Amino acid sequence: MNSLRLSFAYLRHKALSTTLTVTTFAAGVAMIVVLLLVNAQLQNEFANNLKGIDLVVGAKGSPMQLILSSVFHLDLPTGNIPLQAAQQLSKHPMVQQAIPLSLGDNFQGFRIVGTTAAYPEHYQAKLRAGGRYWKKEMEAVLGAEVASRSGLKTGDTFAGSHGLTVGGEVHAQFPYTVVGVLEPTDSVLDRLVLTGMESVWYIHEHDDDQEAGAPGSSSEHHDASQTSQTGAANPDQQREITSLLISYNSPLAAAGLPRLINKTTSMQAASPAFEMARLNAFMGRGTETLGFFAWFLIALAGFGIFAGLYNAMDERRYDLALMRSFGARPGKLFALMMTESLVVALVGVALGVLTGHLLVQGIASWLASSKHIHMTGRLFLVEEAWLFPVSLAVGALAALLPAIRVYRIDIFKTLVHH
Amino acid sequence: MLEIQRLKAGYGDKVIVEVPQLSLGSGEHCLILGDSGSGKTTLLCTLAGLLSPVAGEITVNGQALGALRGSALDAFRGRNIGMIYQTLHMVSALTVLENVLLAQYAAGVAQDRDKAISLLERLGIADKKDDKPETLSQGQQQRVAIARAAINSPRIIVGDEPTSALDDRACETVMGLLLQLAAASKASLIIATHDQRIKGHFHQQIRVGGAQ
Repeated sequence: MNSLRLSFAYLRHKALSTTLTVTTFAAGVAMIVVLLLVNAQLQNEFANNLKGIDLVVGAKGSPMQLILSSVFHLDLPTGNIPLQAAQQLSKHPMVQQAIPLSLGDNFQGFRIVGTTAAYPEHYQAKLRAGGRYWKKEMEAVLGAEVASRSGLKTGDTFAGSHGLTVGGEVHAQFPYTVVGVLEPTDSVLDRLVLTGMESVWYIHEHDDDQEAGAPGSSSEHHDASQTSQTGAANPDQQREITSLLISYNSPLAAAGLPRLINKTTSMQAASPAFEMARLNAFMGRGTETLGFFAWFLIALAGFGIFAGLYNAMDERRYDLALMRSFGARPGKLFALMMTESLVVALVGVALGVLTGHLLVQGIASWLASSKHIHMTGRLFLVEEAWLFPVSLAVGALAALLPAIRVYRIDIFKTLVHH
Repeated sequence: MLEIQRLKAGYGDKVIVEVPQLSLGSGEHCLILGDSGSGKTTLLCTLAGLLSPVAGEITVNGQALGALRGSALDAFRGRNIGMIYQTLHMVSALTVLENVLLAQYAAGVAQDRDKAISLLERLGIADKKDDKPETLSQGQQQRVAIARAAINSPRIIVGDEPTSALDDRACETVMGLLLQLAAASKASLIIATHDQRIKGHFHQQIRVGGAQ
């Protein structure tokens, strides 16, 4: 018999209210864990994808949509821009690097991106042994997740389908050959199929030739490389791309370049940093609210412990007075009440952290099917460690008033004069 | 073992019982007789150190209770005085054995399961040791309370009407057990009762209330 075993005996004795308190406590903790993990992983994912991209240039429209579609590959593109204008902009003295992107097709829901080798290099991607980048049209390199989910390896072939989501018309007559697979990069690259821009043009120019007899049957989702109905007569002048990812070679560029593009060309320039700050301002409010709610749950659970112990004090007055009469110092009984509350808090927080991680793992596997955002429940953050001392403090605080009452027990009146 | 000088017991300033003088040697037992409401319980609790006397002195095992304060008094009570309350006050969250060990836990002495079990054996309720007290009969609970009072080998065992709820046979058995346990540790029994059946076992008697 010691304080811990005695506490357990009492907690078992009132199992229902113990379960209720532990559950409320765990729910609050789990909610905070989910918020922390999701937030951290989203921020991390955003930061990884944004790395070094100062400006995104694409067709006019919503700047947020342009960023989401070209940097995170989440939204649909705003339209196309002429290749010539893009090439001209790339030569601007304040532009250090300009990566062209051509969107339009997908493979099993993973976007096929026509670009240059500068794109994977920008994310410091490495090819797996035996792979190489594309040299001619219809050669493709797979992101790590695409490869693992499709089971394709170097040398295999596959056909893309039209549009950016599953279900489009399959370009069966234009198979791609896998020439390389990338190592995981923790960026959006993992979920992309990369190829040369020529491939995208190649497919759609020949596609259009075939469909020439039925104009308009080709879809409105021809986001990239839509040439005129006359075919590839003067390709470079007619060709289009979806967007351009630009890094400045001087911070001064931020002051003039976006304005220049927006004013003097038919294209739109959007700053990822600015748009992400805007997005965070929207989402931040939501996370904050949920955070308050989670802390409210924990406080509620603390109040539950308090009410439970306070009520128990009434029922337990006899037990406590009895222990006092057998020689127990008040400090010992104070410790007993504290132990009981701390056990509840500790079990609650441990259960909450576990549930939180399982929930995030659940969210992760649900998100995995969306092929956009990667997440895991097997991540442990330093911030989570704080939950333990904070929860114990809540437990101690809840037990304080009931525990102090043991000092005021009148043994004689309680045990005899009742 | 127990010395009382000019004791006035009560609470607040109100004197309920007076005992001018009492001296009890080691292993000697004392009966406190009186009608209900006469202050027997008040006197018992004062002897046990649960109530401070209004006036006078109590010395247990050579130690003046009046000289002890706070946790020193708690500790002394835990080791030297065993209490059997009229209302038995079983802890319902604990088993019978744990109820007995609780007295050792509270007193802060080493817990001796074997001793607790052998005590329960002598009292004939060892087979109930893992049961909750509320499943026991009144007589069985009475024995648990006796085991709990005796587990720390106290110098005096104080009992408040320990036999009055029992029939003649049970009364005789319980008295026999109490005397046996007291003899084993040379403890003094101080029993408050209106139960005339047990008079014969005691060396001394105090009558409280009415005829003083």
